[in-house]
Amino acid sequence: MPSNTIVERVAADLVRYPPFEQLDQELLQDLASSVSVTYHQEGETIFRKGDQLRECAFMVMKGAVRLFENIDEREVLVDLCDEGDIFGVRAIFARQDYVLTAQVAEETLLYEIPVDKITMLLQQSPGAALFFAREFARSVEEIEHSLTEAMEGAGRDLHGLSCHSFLENETLEVRQVSNVATCSPDISIQDAAGIMAERNIGSIIVVSGEGHPLGIITDTDLRKKVVAVPGSVKEQPVSEIMSSPVYTITGGRTIADMVMLMVKTKLRHFCVTEDGSVDSPVTGIISEHDIITSEGNNPAVIMKAVMQADHRDELREQRDKAESLLRLYISQDVAVHFISSIITEINDALITRAIEFAFADLDERHDGQRPETPFCWLSLGSEGRREQLLRTDQDNAILYEDPPPDREDAVHAYYLELGSIVTGILQHCGFVRCPADMMASNPQWCRPVSVWKGYFRKWVSAPEPKAVMNSTIFFDFRPVYGASWLASELKQDIFAAIDRSRGFLQFFAKNALQNPPPLGFFRNFLVEKSRDHANEFDIKARAMMPLSDAARVLAYELNVVEYLSTVERFKKLSLLIPGMKDLCHEAAFAYEFLMKLRAVNGLETSSSGRYIKPESLDKLERQMLRNVFSTIEKVQKALNLRFQLDYIRT
Amino acid sequence: MCRYVRAFEHAPVFGVSLDKVRFVVFDTETTGFDPVHDSVISIGAVALRGGSIDVHDSFEVLVCRETAGDRDAVTVHGLLRRDLVAGISEDEAASRFVEYAGNSVLVAQHADFDIAMMNRVLKRHYGLQLFNDVLDTASLAKRLEKGPYYNLAHKSGEYRLDSLLERYDIRLFDRHTAAGDAFLTAQLFQRLLQSAGESGIRTLGDLLLK
Repeated sequence: MPSNTIVERVAADLVRYPPFEQLDQELLQDLASSVSVTYHQEGETIFRKGDQLRECAFMVMKGAVRLFENIDEREVLVDLCDEGDIFGVRAIFARQDYVLTAQVAEETLLYEIPVDKITMLLQQSPGAALFFAREFARSVEEIEHSLTEAMEGAGRDLHGLSCHSFLENETLEVRQVSNVATCSPDISIQDAAGIMAERNIGSIIVVSGEGHPLGIITDTDLRKKVVAVPGSVKEQPVSEIMSSPVYTITGGRTIADMVMLMVKTKLRHFCVTEDGSVDSPVTGIISEHDIITSEGNNPAVIMKAVMQADHRDELREQRDKAESLLRLYISQDVAVHFISSIITEINDALITRAIEFAFADLDERHDGQRPETPFCWLSLGSEGRREQLLRTDQDNAILYEDPPPDREDAVHAYYLELGSIVTGILQHCGFVRCPADMMASNPQWCRPVSVWKGYFRKWVSAPEPKAVMNSTIFFDFRPVYGASWLASELKQDIFAAIDRSRGFLQFFAKNALQNPPPLGFFRNFLVEKSRDHANEFDIKARAMMPLSDAARVLAYELNVVEYLSTVERFKKLSLLIPGMKDLCHEAAFAYEFLMKLRAVNGLETSSSGRYIKPESLDKLERQMLRNVFSTIEKVQKALNLRFQLDYIRT
Repeated sequence: MCRYVRAFEHAPVFGVSLDKVRFVVFDTETTGFDPVHDSVISIGAVALRGGSIDVHDSFEVLVCRETAGDRDAVTVHGLLRRDLVAGISEDEAASRFVEYAGNSVLVAQHADFDIAMMNRVLKRHYGLQLFNDVLDTASLAKRLEKGPYYNLAHKSGEYRLDSLLERYDIRLFDRHTAAGDAFLTAQLFQRLLQSAGESGIRTLGDLLLK
């Protein structure tokens, strides 16, 4: 029998990294006892392309290993693995030879894990199976389909989970539970559990004689500390297992406060006391559940408040609330497409209300005279694609029906005034002005439909790279208020223009390939194909734009008339282009992941979330990102092939 | 025990390549540092072959003793009294160890002491001693770093296990359990073997200077 001490040591190393962190103790020990430890110096080759597969996969415990391919006698770096990375997983799934060469980049300690152990693990731990499948999927096409499906399944579960939040009510303060269950520290654990069961509650506060909180016992404590422990623990006093001290607060907290506190402390129960300290009597308790189901966190309430707002200050207040809602949803792992659709609804309602305010102002100024020509408010860019989570720059435009020749100037002046008022309100609500001035307050972007058609026809018929690049956000326009048929008319005209000059799509596609994705991460650096390492990661330019650009090109190529998000576009495209079905699903998943990562980063750093510090990512996020990068690369290759871009010079 | 003795019927082959040799890296924890009066509390070991430490091929026993030893040793080794009582008898421990070791080359940090301790136990119960070739990691490190004639006497601190582990950048853990130290010593030996290869040491004979 192997040495327990050594096995436990190895297990403690393995458990630090995915997928082993989720294994139960028995599987982990068994796995650890099968490990071989090897040591390698810089420059040593672990295996070569074409070598027969080994009977093990490798985990880097210390050091770094480069994986590369030789193409035309040139080394093409495919991956750099550092501590906790696994490579050589091909041996688990494939029966042929290695397709890459693994070479030690710096002094390395490897754990070799036998393939038969991993195979056994795959059957016993679905989490580990998904992990290894993902790792493998990065190089092999066949199983990607099933993989994408598995991930979508996970997404659906999250969606179901989020529905808890829809409750009807109108207050914005977290309502504390005031008839708190308490007990003294010397009652037995069994008795405390009895009280909790009887009252059907998830926690009980342990209090002193004066009613001051000493500790708390929750379901989790009972599960982990009592049930899991053999012997007669149940007879012991509750003070043995209670969590102490309790986090105490004063009453009357808003949901935003509580969400912040929950995110910051990672606690799930907060004890309300008279003066907020542990040295005063308990008056209530607020649990995670109370916060999540709090009435004010209901998007419907925010929507209603927006629609009934009397002043721009109220709009701003509601939009801030939407952000705390976003924070909550993100911390609860709610599906991104669900969050973005809620935020978009709220933003749209806010724009609508802002336009109504503007009309009221204008009515006063113009004695209630409004132009007879109908207009349509357009959101552009990410807002046009319904993808905005955090508030970013505003991009918008006004489109109106061609007025009679003698009214042209008057109508233009009126709608320009409208545009100025509305963009001003939006700015007041936290939407920064577009630095490139692509806004409805700019005379150039507040125009009748004939002029708009002219703009697009020019972009389409005589494309020059710079103009195409600057105009992409316009191609994502979406009607938010007013005569949406004007927007449809414009879209049809664009399709017709594109039909007349196929060359445009190639330019459009070429533009989508400007930013190749990086390879992945190495410690705190981004590994690039061309350069070596870079320090910060621009998630928007390097990962999101390549995907949203690609989806836009294909949507316009295939005359998709609906106003869709990037994710929806990919889903639609998967039906329209059978050959790209799996890739489109994968891209949709990748984009959702990126949106979420950006939002999390933005909330953590109080920024737009665009620039990510690689060191802030955990191992799993890095692995996910690496997969996303390879998806982007495949999408770009597909685009390249579809539009035969290798033959074009710009 | 007979199997152990029979494993040495054939003379060792010193010309064999180091890749083919099974090394057993071991450590003993004792009640003190006097081979005559002190006794073995636990033995831990792990095998290394072809540069690879095989966790599956490892070994650990606790020796049960009637008197639970003096207090100092108990604290140093972090062994509780009930662990000692839960162990196996000294003769059984020695017999299992030689069975596990077979005719492999024994490797230990400051090997003289551990070998002396094991020999005393074997002598008392079985009237024999270890036949294995033995390699001391401290001496090997010294030889590789400074050459064979360096005088260790003045600077023995440089070649303590802690110093060596730090110098070779091996992450510390579980110091002062026999198996934990054996695993660390094995990682040290793994690096030393690599460095020996670079110094032109290819065969077992080269390594043992035989």
